Amino acid sequence: MNIENGKVTEVQMDIFEGARFFEPLVVGRTYDEVAPILMRICAICSASHTVASLMAVENAFGVTVSPQTQLLRGLLVQGGNIESHALHLFCLVIPDFLGYPSAVALASDYPQEVKMGLGLKKLGNTIQQTIGGRAIHPVNAIVGGFGRLPTPEDLLGLKEELKRGLEYSLATAGLVSTLEIQDFCTSPNTYAALLSDGPGYSLFGEKIILSTGDTKEIGMYKEICNEQVVAHSHAKHSRLKDEPFMVGALARMALNGKKLSGEAKKAKQKLGLDVLSGNTLHNNAAQAVEMVYSVERSIELIDELLSSGIREEKPLQVTAGAGEGTGAVEAPRGTLYHSYSFDEIGRLTKADIVTPTAQNLANIEKDLRVSAENLIDEPRESLSSKLEMVVRAYDPCVSCAVHLVEVDFE
Amino acid sequence: MDKPSVGIYGLTGCAGDQLAILNCEDELLDMAGALNIKFFPMAMTGNDQECPLDIAFVEGAVVQPEDEQMLKKLRDRATLLVAIGTCAVWGGVQAMKNEIARAELKRQVYGPAGKGFETIVPQPLSHFVKVDLAISGCPIEKEQLLQGVASLLHGDLPRLPNYAVCTECKMAEYPCVLLEKGQLCLGPITIAGCKARCPSHSQPCIGCRGPVDEANVCSEIQVLKEKGFTWVDIQNRLRTFAAQAGPLRIESLKEAADA
Repeated sequence: MNIENGKVTEVQMDIFEGARFFEPLVVGRTYDEVAPILMRICAICSASHTVASLMAVENAFGVTVSPQTQLLRGLLVQGGNIESHALHLFCLVIPDFLGYPSAVALASDYPQEVKMGLGLKKLGNTIQQTIGGRAIHPVNAIVGGFGRLPTPEDLLGLKEELKRGLEYSLATAGLVSTLEIQDFCTSPNTYAALLSDGPGYSLFGEKIILSTGDTKEIGMYKEICNEQVVAHSHAKHSRLKDEPFMVGALARMALNGKKLSGEAKKAKQKLGLDVLSGNTLHNNAAQAVEMVYSVERSIELIDELLSSGIREEKPLQVTAGAGEGTGAVEAPRGTLYHSYSFDEIGRLTKADIVTPTAQNLANIEKDLRVSAENLIDEPRESLSSKLEMVVRAYDPCVSCAVHLVEVDFE
Repeated sequence: MDKPSVGIYGLTGCAGDQLAILNCEDELLDMAGALNIKFFPMAMTGNDQECPLDIAFVEGAVVQPEDEQMLKKLRDRATLLVAIGTCAVWGGVQAMKNEIARAELKRQVYGPAGKGFETIVPQPLSHFVKVDLAISGCPIEKEQLLQGVASLLHGDLPRLPNYAVCTECKMAEYPCVLLEKGQLCLGPITIAGCKARCPSHSQPCIGCRGPVDEANVCSEIQVLKEKGFTWVDIQNRLRTFAAQAGPLRIESLKEAADA
């Protein structure tokens, strides 16, 4: 960011992470090898990448997986959401707001809270381990279904842990509600998310919905994401009709929040998210509400699985052939798209992946500009740390979320 | 003994090995108490980027000049340098097709704007600096990490298994996915430590931990050809995670296939 004579002249959101070229590297691979390679894009959202990838492959081949597989994939994605939000809230946001450098430092004064945060994080990992076969980069979710099915005992064990997790998640929402959220980062936001596919709030959907009122089929995602290569960053930026937009927990709250029920609905009210202000810093609060939701929804999914009984289904056999398909899921940081083309023997010819962070980059630049203009009279150090707070609120790929903002005063 | 000063660094990768450290939820506070953590930007602010270190843990591969500079600087600062994860140890998935020019990949993904940044052919840490301990895995296994930290705290290096996933799989008596189900399994040539995670889920090992010492690649290729897999698919699978490893280089594979 450049500031000249008290005016913000330039804001650029750079991603310094080296380019890995996943899209061309996966060309030529057989359809069953695509998810195991592309899940490696991101560890923290590897469950979401896996499920979006499998959905894109199955969509290309016209395969519909069983209701049981859909429930298990739903549970896997909820596990990822719990882990990711717990990591962000307890390792970055809460220490940040309370003035501690890390969760470890926070633990000396807030041992119970940190124990609770680590407990929630572990719960998310236990779900991913039980359903996906590994906490990071799941091995058990494959094209057509699952390699090994969980037993009813596995699910009952998870349910017990989830009941404890519900208390923790409610206490977390209580804790987050006490954090003072300043309003220097408030401006009109356009939100985008998948339209929840049932009567309740969901991380899946067939349509993309925007706060402008527009909707699109997920296959038409390019009309929304409209990725642009920007010279200053290795990650592409997305713009909607040349305007930035926001995806993630706050966007989901804005677009699907009225479908929340149970404790999550109460938490949303308690955290003041019933009225949306356009303050991006509220994304942290939206994550806290979603953690309650994800725990409650996981319990529901387990109850559904147990009530119908786990059937010993083998993964569906796929007849590979030429085709194109798109899969989308609400990942912890927002809507994630995978879109592929295959040749007649089922080898990938083209892959397009649009991550939530790429969609948010242009909006982060907008928010940094708005915030800097509102904070122009602050001392430099306080300005930098507040701008870092803005970036962190988006929870972008954590390894690049810290130490990111450099302000040049000229 | 004073607590060893430690830094945890990520070059280019998915951050999964740093996340695997944070995923030791039950041990995290004890581990943090036993170490003097100076640098871990994924989990803390106030990181020291200049101090000398007793141990540097480094994940990710070297894919850009900045990675190389950072790694060399770290090597100078650290008494011990530990490579964590398959990217750091073997190059990882981004190094699967190093025979394709980076300029061509940049053109495909970024178009003309790709000229704005530099990339180098992805390599593991050992291509540039001495590595004192390598803990592979995509991601690393928690038990091996904790064992490594415990050994280092005692001034020692851990003894990691030097046998194949296939051995672990046989010891656990999982049905053989290669011989019985005819799947493209790399268990016979992949280094153990995951307790045969994929075969335990009826899935073939895809070699995410890299090759075991003295891997018999020749015989693996023979079995896979007999099972009817094409040479293209065999090579692709072999060269997904550790294409830079000696026995998995293109010329080595050709030799092994002809033998």
